[in-house]
Amino acid sequence: MSVERTFGPGELRTAVSVPSWTLGQVGRRLPLDTYIEQLWRRRHFILAESRSKIAGTAGRNLLGYGWLVLNPLLNGLGFYVIFGLILGTSRGIDNFVGFLMIGVFFFQLTMRCVTGGTQAVRSGRSMIRAFAFPRAALPITVVVREVLNFMPTFAVLAVVLAVLPPAENLTWRVVLVVPCFVLQVLFAQGCAFLLARLGHILPDISNLVNVLARFWLYASGVFFSIDRFDLVPFVQTIMKINPMYSYLEIYRNSILYGVDSPPWMWMLAAGWAFVFVIFGFLFFYRGEETYGRAE
Amino acid sequence: MAAPNETKAASVVVEDVHMDYSVRTSGGGRGLAGKVKSRIGLGERTRVEALRGVSLLAREGEFVGVIGANGSGKSTLLRLIAGVEKPTSGQILARRQPTLLGVNAALQQALSGAANVRLGCLAMGMTPEQTEAVYEDVVRLSALGDAIKRPMGGYSSGMAARLRFAIAVAARPKILLIDEALSTGDATFAQRSEEAMNEMLADAGTVFLVNHAAKVIQELCTRAIWMHEGTVIMDGEAEHVAEKYRWWAWNVAKGETAVAEKLLAQAMDEGEMQNVYVLPEAPMRMTSPRHATRVRRGGGYRTTSLRPTQAPAVAPGSQDESRFPETDLLPVVNDVVIAKQSKPVGARHVSRR
Repeated sequence: MSVERTFGPGELRTAVSVPSWTLGQVGRRLPLDTYIEQLWRRRHFILAESRSKIAGTAGRNLLGYGWLVLNPLLNGLGFYVIFGLILGTSRGIDNFVGFLMIGVFFFQLTMRCVTGGTQAVRSGRSMIRAFAFPRAALPITVVVREVLNFMPTFAVLAVVLAVLPPAENLTWRVVLVVPCFVLQVLFAQGCAFLLARLGHILPDISNLVNVLARFWLYASGVFFSIDRFDLVPFVQTIMKINPMYSYLEIYRNSILYGVDSPPWMWMLAAGWAFVFVIFGFLFFYRGEETYGRAE
Repeated sequence: MAAPNETKAASVVVEDVHMDYSVRTSGGGRGLAGKVKSRIGLGERTRVEALRGVSLLAREGEFVGVIGANGSGKSTLLRLIAGVEKPTSGQILARRQPTLLGVNAALQQALSGAANVRLGCLAMGMTPEQTEAVYEDVVRLSALGDAIKRPMGGYSSGMAARLRFAIAVAARPKILLIDEALSTGDATFAQRSEEAMNEMLADAGTVFLVNHAAKVIQELCTRAIWMHEGTVIMDGEAEHVAEKYRWWAWNVAKGETAVAEKLLAQAMDEGEMQNVYVLPEAPMRMTSPRHATRVRRGGGYRTTSLRPTQAPAVAPGSQDESRFPETDLLPVVNDVVIAKQSKPVGARHVSRR
């Protein structure tokens, strides 16, 4: 921390020493506890920043906030036409519309957090240069924004499921959506932390992320049941370990089919969430001093 | 020199700071392989030394002007003091988290000035109530009028700089670093900002101002630092240093390179560059209370701290404290003593005057 030097005799004769116990090192990473405390103090900032980002996006469009509802609806329709009507992957799936909607909507939440997280440091550059705040606020802002954005989607989902004919099997298990959603958001937050630092180190990653997300989408059983891969147990196992599969299955079981999800699904869902959010946060925190770098 | 000033507490300490940038040399045209190599540190790169050993000690109540030609490292120094970037070697200590007003003043282009004020205050760690409390002051100081409701992307650079300044001052910073930002403001704003800065200085603050114009430095600052190619050429009274710089710059502009070289050498010889050392504290610190006078012995030298009883920055419970809580992001280092040594040539400089 302090630099040791050897002074020749008399070299410091004219030296003046200054009391320094209130001086702190500039630009250094804070100890973890102080860092988290400072981050907590920025909670109002995080909320205000996410809201203003939503308002900014909405303000540019003619329909404004309407897109928050229309976008998922059109997306779901598109996937329904392709996979439900044209490719016919709906075989063997009860209530395919609900199955597809849940898959598409909730998967998109994670995906948007991931791609937004990759850009978080770059798009927050002007704030980083202007103000001193724990930089972890930026990837958190991305996730909070996406969660707020997702609220209208929830409503769309509820309406679609209520209106469309194949009525679902409603039970008390619907409330399980809440803990599952919390876990999914934690997982997405972990991804955002992780990719925020990676994207800062190597900006090219944002291109790669888009491609990989596409693979991930198909591997998570969004449009079809992964029971199709019964004959290839290896592939099926990998698909099942994949965190998004567990989240989507728990949502479907709880909302559509009214059945209990197997415990291993919950364990995977919780395990992935906590491992990612803790590891991601620490990984991002370790890079704290680098985010202001000019380049 | 400047004996009364020596008793003020240090607010910024820069110890032998070096800053190198690695820049990929352009025109290599070696495609992807070259890019990958340079990214992982194997490719051809040029090291640009932005700062080569800068030391300085700024005290409370000082208004320090930083002057120098383009590319002399002024802005880099300010960014490092603000903690936006980390020096390659050396260290920087500060009393409070410094606030930087950079050249690029725009914050969030899509948002209105008002939204930027709120976001900025919250980012600095204020609560929503505190933000509302200072909001009117910020708008008044920025003198933007109705423009505060317009998106910041449409602001002129002067307007954006005014708003940035007003937001920064709202948090009552103790250390303000201004990088040319105020040069774009108009006369009315110049007056207001000067008042705001004087208030800050009176309240034991420290201001650094980077500017090309020697005149501005002379008018505003109490002390000036002339930087040239990453080193401090001269450090002293603003009037004197700025005058020397102006003369040098004029000769450079006229193409009188020989005269300019001579002036530079002369200034370097005469100029008083501080050597600052942050020393590991003597082990005896455990035996005496924190506020006791520190006496260091050994190695044939003895130094005494001049201002032994200095309470930590703001007295707790004061009005300032309750309205603007500590929003610092500085891990406080307790185990150092700072020794400042003036070069012997400094004595000559004083005797000459």
